[in-house]
Amino acid sequence: VVDQIKLWQLEMERMKTVEGYLFSDFKNGSEYDVLANYARELGVMVWENRSKGLFFVTKEGNQQIVDYYRRKIQGIK
Amino acid sequence: MPRAVKGVFVECDPSIKSLILNIDSKSHNVIVADLDDEHLVIDERQVENVKRQLDAQLAENTFNPAELDNNPEK
Repeated sequence: VVDQIKLWQLEMERMKTVEGYLFSDFKNGSEYDVLANYARELGVMVWENRSKGLFFVTKEGNQQIVDYYRRKIQGIK
Repeated sequence: MPRAVKGVFVECDPSIKSLILNIDSKSHNVIVADLDDEHLVIDERQVENVKRQLDAQLAENTFNPAELDNNPEK
């Protein structure tokens, strides 16, 4: 019975899904931080791992981060 | 410029994740990125396929108590 309950639980909770975009290939840690901080401020950050240089944002947040990147990072060059 | 790849983020139990890895191993078109024990990114076109296959595998386990009885490890 315990096994069945466990399996039912798994069945109910098995997957939480969020549509969005995975960001990778940052030039360096500070580029990662600038964009990750902005994603957090916007409240669109879903998952992040700085040491792997990866974060995932919601579908809605993607364009704002791309625009921000163009303004802040490319604009400075 | 960093890369931004479209996909569906999945949060799940490690045992479910291993089932998804198994589904991917047959076709290699499901997983976009393996993030950690409980998180991965999959191709949005494969979400329904993955859910269907998980349903099938979990149903098989749930409705086969004889198999569980024969396996005291479970």
